[in-house]
Amino acid sequence: MQDRRPDYFAWFILPSVFLAVALTASLASLFQFSLREHIPGSLQVGGFTLGNFGRMGSWVYLRVFTDSLALSACTALANLLLGYPLAYALVRSKSSLLKSTILITTIVPMFTGDIVRTYSWLVVLGKNGFINGTLKAAGILDSPLELLYTPLGVTIALVQYSLPIMVIILAAAISHIDIAYEKAAASLGAGPLNVLWNVTLPLSMPGILSGTVTIFAWTLSAFATPQLVGGGKVNMISNMVYQLGFSNFDFPFAAVLSMVALALIFGVLGLMSLGMRRLERVGLH
Amino acid sequence: MFRSIRRVSRGGALGASLAFALVAGMLATNADAQDPLRISIWGGSWKDFTAENIGKRFTAETGVPVEYITGGTIDRLNKAKLSKANPETDLIFTTSHVGWLYASDDLYERLDMAKLPNAKTIFPEAIISPYHIGTWSYVYTIAYRPDLVPADIKFASWNDLWNPKLKGTIGLPDFDPSHIIYAAALLSGAKGAKDWTMGQKKLLELKPNIKAFYSSDATSQEKIGSGETPVQVLLSGNAYHMMSQGVKINLVVPKEGAIIGIDTVGINKGSKKADLAYKFINIALDPETQTLVANKQKMGPVSPQAKVDPAIAKLPGMFTTAQQWKEQAIVIDHKQRSELLGEWRKWFTENLIAR
Repeated sequence: MQDRRPDYFAWFILPSVFLAVALTASLASLFQFSLREHIPGSLQVGGFTLGNFGRMGSWVYLRVFTDSLALSACTALANLLLGYPLAYALVRSKSSLLKSTILITTIVPMFTGDIVRTYSWLVVLGKNGFINGTLKAAGILDSPLELLYTPLGVTIALVQYSLPIMVIILAAAISHIDIAYEKAAASLGAGPLNVLWNVTLPLSMPGILSGTVTIFAWTLSAFATPQLVGGGKVNMISNMVYQLGFSNFDFPFAAVLSMVALALIFGVLGLMSLGMRRLERVGLH
Repeated sequence: MFRSIRRVSRGGALGASLAFALVAGMLATNADAQDPLRISIWGGSWKDFTAENIGKRFTAETGVPVEYITGGTIDRLNKAKLSKANPETDLIFTTSHVGWLYASDDLYERLDMAKLPNAKTIFPEAIISPYHIGTWSYVYTIAYRPDLVPADIKFASWNDLWNPKLKGTIGLPDFDPSHIIYAAALLSGAKGAKDWTMGQKKLLELKPNIKAFYSSDATSQEKIGSGETPVQVLLSGNAYHMMSQGVKINLVVPKEGAIIGIDTVGINKGSKKADLAYKFINIALDPETQTLVANKQKMGPVSPQAKVDPAIAKLPGMFTTAQQWKEQAIVIDHKQRSELLGEWRKWFTENLIAR
């Protein structure tokens, strides 16, 4: 009789091994570039050196990292504050109209490309854009707000870009909370805010943690949004990597920045894993 | 009998083989003829113009189709480097100083000028190197929106960009800072590109006036079109394109001159269609093509024999005579520019772009 069991080795293990080898080779190539000497005016790289890592001590590049960390943290926090009520309403609301509205306004923009979405932010945030135009028409402003090419403008665009992911993660976490806990708290006299603060929020901590960390790590590698909305005045790590690699031909130092950014993201993911384990230990999972 | 049959058979087989070889040979020749000349070039209007005005004529004269492989300046340079052993293209269009990077990385064939009769009459400034040759020129100079800057600012000199009234209005390219670096150096007393550090202090003083940096022709046009950066150091061709779209832009050549840019063409090292590539370049340099370059694209012709519409010849940055090249063009030594570009970009990135 013919064995009809799926061939796990051919279908899953082999492609995984192939993918792992390809990714490892790419990272190894990046790493060897970070150890090579930059030859100004040439596409070729020189001999081995550790000097590229020394340049990371320069305040110019440290500033790019601190700016990127700050922008990513602000984006993650704003996502949490905006995303939690939306996710809660999406899961708990009995109104299908409200659910559909939330789905359309938050999730559907994800299906347009990031370049399209970012270009639309140029129109919205510009000196004569939607926000300034509305505020001027309402007589609230005399001169336009500076939103484009500022950290605030970049954060607004990044939040809109990543909000669908946050809502999906939080909605998944909230939907796993047994509604009986909330009903029990309410039957014991707790008001809606009290129930939210003392029951729902603590029980959705795993989702809050993973959503915040995911958005933080994702934003840390943002490129198109800061490139277009930041206009070269707000630079994140990827923008600096692009500048160094593709404009300056300084592939070795671009590789150093990439390696450090990668290590930073691994560090953040490690902290998330640690946090999750602690949550599991206190029984909130 | 058997032998004779066998002989006949062998004769038939030989005939059939010869016939097959002949047909196969003809097919192969035909396939070679259909194998296109591959050209690496920027996308958009650059490719469209080249295809319409050079490529079509080339195909009509040779029967060989042309395939265009488009991309950004640096992306194409990287691709050419990666495919050095087996080049993907036969001809490369790029900017003069970037062409030197191709040449120094041994990616170009040395040009045989005897195969380019039209090159004999072009402006001497268009002969960039033994490897690449200019096809049209343009300038990077000051462009501004007269409706969005103070009326009393006239931009007679590069120095006017430093006017405090222009705080937060200027847009500069981030991919090539050589124009503003060279202008600042000249204003600070430098005699050439090698003295560029003399302009560093002046460049830092420009920081408050810089609103944003643009990373491509498209973002440059978007920023000046929307008025976000009403003053730009702008490519003349982009300015003329925006004007044709109804955007009011004044383009000026300051008294010190405008920074000239020359787009060039060179033959990929290892190209198997070098003779066809020479034919293509020669058509590009033909005075008839150069007339179209000026009148259709509003780019400076490299041939003094181009018949430029007088209204177009008057436009700022349209250099059609040797005297204009001498008096209005700032030509940064192309090789030196390619060698210094990395250093310039590093300084610019660390001191003007980074906070």
